[in-house]
Amino acid sequence: MTATVGVLLALVFLSVLFSLSSHRLLELIRMMALQGIFVSLVPFLMETHEGFALLNFVLLAVMVFIKGAAIPGLLWLAMRKIQIRREIEPIVSYHVSIFIGLAIILTSVFVSHRMETVALSAHPLLLPAAFTTLSAGLFLLMARRKALTQVIGYLMMENGIYLAGSALARQTHTQYLVEFGVLLDVLVGVMIMGIILHQINDSFDDADTTFLESLRD
Amino acid sequence: MLEHIFLIPILLGILCFFLPSRLGRGVLVGGGLATLAGASALWFGDQPGGGAYFQVTPEGQLVLLVVSFLFVLVTVYTLGYLRDAPIRREPIFLGCMLLCLGTMSMVALADHIIVLWVAIEATTLVSAPLILLHHSKEALEATWKYVMVCSVGIALALLGGFFTIMAMGSGNVDLSLTFHGLAGEAAAFDPSWLKAGFIFLLIGYGTKMGLAPMHTWLPDAHSEAPSPASALLSGMLLNCAFLGVFKAHLLMTAAGLAVFSGSLLVVFGLLSVLVAAVFIIQQNDYKRLLAYSSIENMGIIAFGIGIGGLAAYGAMIHLIHHALIKSSLFLSAGNILLGYGTKMIADTGRLARFQPRTAIALVGGFAGISGFPPFGIFLSELLIIFGAFQKGSYSSVAVLIFSLILIFAGASRSIIRISFSNWEGQMKIGENLPRIAPSWILLLTSIGLTVWMPEKMEQIIQAVMTAIGGSLHG
Repeated sequence: MTATVGVLLALVFLSVLFSLSSHRLLELIRMMALQGIFVSLVPFLMETHEGFALLNFVLLAVMVFIKGAAIPGLLWLAMRKIQIRREIEPIVSYHVSIFIGLAIILTSVFVSHRMETVALSAHPLLLPAAFTTLSAGLFLLMARRKALTQVIGYLMMENGIYLAGSALARQTHTQYLVEFGVLLDVLVGVMIMGIILHQINDSFDDADTTFLESLRD
Repeated sequence: MLEHIFLIPILLGILCFFLPSRLGRGVLVGGGLATLAGASALWFGDQPGGGAYFQVTPEGQLVLLVVSFLFVLVTVYTLGYLRDAPIRREPIFLGCMLLCLGTMSMVALADHIIVLWVAIEATTLVSAPLILLHHSKEALEATWKYVMVCSVGIALALLGGFFTIMAMGSGNVDLSLTFHGLAGEAAAFDPSWLKAGFIFLLIGYGTKMGLAPMHTWLPDAHSEAPSPASALLSGMLLNCAFLGVFKAHLLMTAAGLAVFSGSLLVVFGLLSVLVAAVFIIQQNDYKRLLAYSSIENMGIIAFGIGIGGLAAYGAMIHLIHHALIKSSLFLSAGNILLGYGTKMIADTGRLARFQPRTAIALVGGFAGISGFPPFGIFLSELLIIFGAFQKGSYSSVAVLIFSLILIFAGASRSIIRISFSNWEGQMKIGENLPRIAPSWILLLTSIGLTVWMPEKMEQIIQAVMTAIGGSLHG
């Protein structure tokens, strides 16, 4: 199982780099769906307990569905409504973004090595992957102008935290109900962001956050 | 069973979406009263034992009572407000108000690390439609900032929660993940994970609480929301976010790391007060002025808790009175906005002539929030300053007092301008009883609690302080 987890985590790294470089929103959303599926599979594959209970499988299915289908689906709907295909003129250009992505990976590896987690010694890639996803999400949020890309940045960040959290905490605690609550919040959050996005698009004729600068002191 | 306290308003809120607005208003009042009854039952009746996720804690009990009491008065105001300023999608407004009450009560009762996070994030989501209500471009911008900044901030708090769980190591599998449960064992935890966890929890919940420099969303959201919703955001929701910060500090204290977490709280607290002072001086929008004043007061509370001892006692009293007075001020601001139709201070004046009873509430509330007796903030700020002197933090007290003076100077200019300066024009909408009585009652409650605090409340505040290792005598 360790090898599978390693492969999944490597794919997470790739998906992060790919989403930093892509300017088509559809590609970004597809990447998010894939990343969501990888991220929700990791903690289940790390499970050290013997055998798989039925409940685990049901929960796995629900999580994969929400992260891999429901949330990307909502994003896709929002994209269709506001009719934006690509992000033009990002605040930070795509080449620089990839470079920063690589820098983030290096820093994450460095930071994770300093943290010395005994419980995770079997999965050396886990913490670096989590920190990379988190920081890259935060970067995407700040480096792009379109509201939809910012939502994707938020989701990527959430994926990173989910990866860190559920994998770390699963070592000591199994609390599916609580994790489900977290996921529900994220889902509703994306829904509400989608609605606001739609309204921004209606009022400004474009869902670009550069218009949102009238309130200031 | 504790859960009924927050389940009732949540279910009623969902029901409200489908009811015609006239019926919905009744449900709103009913939901508010039911929650107040539930909260009072915790104070006076037997306390039901908590489960793995929800527990009655002294700090939660205090916040729950404040929230449910304020909510009932805000509903009264809302009924008067809706009569004069109809809202296009009223069922959504009413439903979200109740959902907000429900999720806030959930925050007050949640003690599990992750469940608390779920509840606080839920408050953000259900309160966002309240801000968006007028569908103006400014409201859209404010809502977008609110949802994005708070969601991203609170996401970091989730990471902080996971770090805190990591600090336990793999030995204590059977321990329940409640803050109070963990506090008993915290001495054995790994301090570096705990510290990392605290930093993220503070940044996350601090964002929601409005601590500088993560406060950027707050003035926009609180000023663009309709006034009853502003009162709800400022008077109640900020206190709920404070609970998150407080519980994290409680865990650190139990682990013997109170110096670390306390000094961080002091720094963030002072920074908030300073930032608020800078923006209040040059403020020309009275609702933003009140919003910055909320940042200031949250800063003072964080400062007091960070100092500990007498100052922590002051901070808890400050929390109660800030909630009462700030809600009252936002309700008065609602009357002013209805009357003049503008939020600009320069376009208002002679309030004392046109809306005399609102003017009294406004000036009274201003006196209260600036720390004049007989209002409770006089007492709480005095206690916080004495407490800080006791601990010998002279330089930080100097910064605090300096900022308080600046804030008083800036705010008094604006309040006097609104109340007494010249203004030619016609009031759009006058004042009426349901829109006056709540702000008066709130101010009178603050005076009442200053003169005589019930013994039970005194005990609860003492219990809160014991939890973070303080007592009245240092």
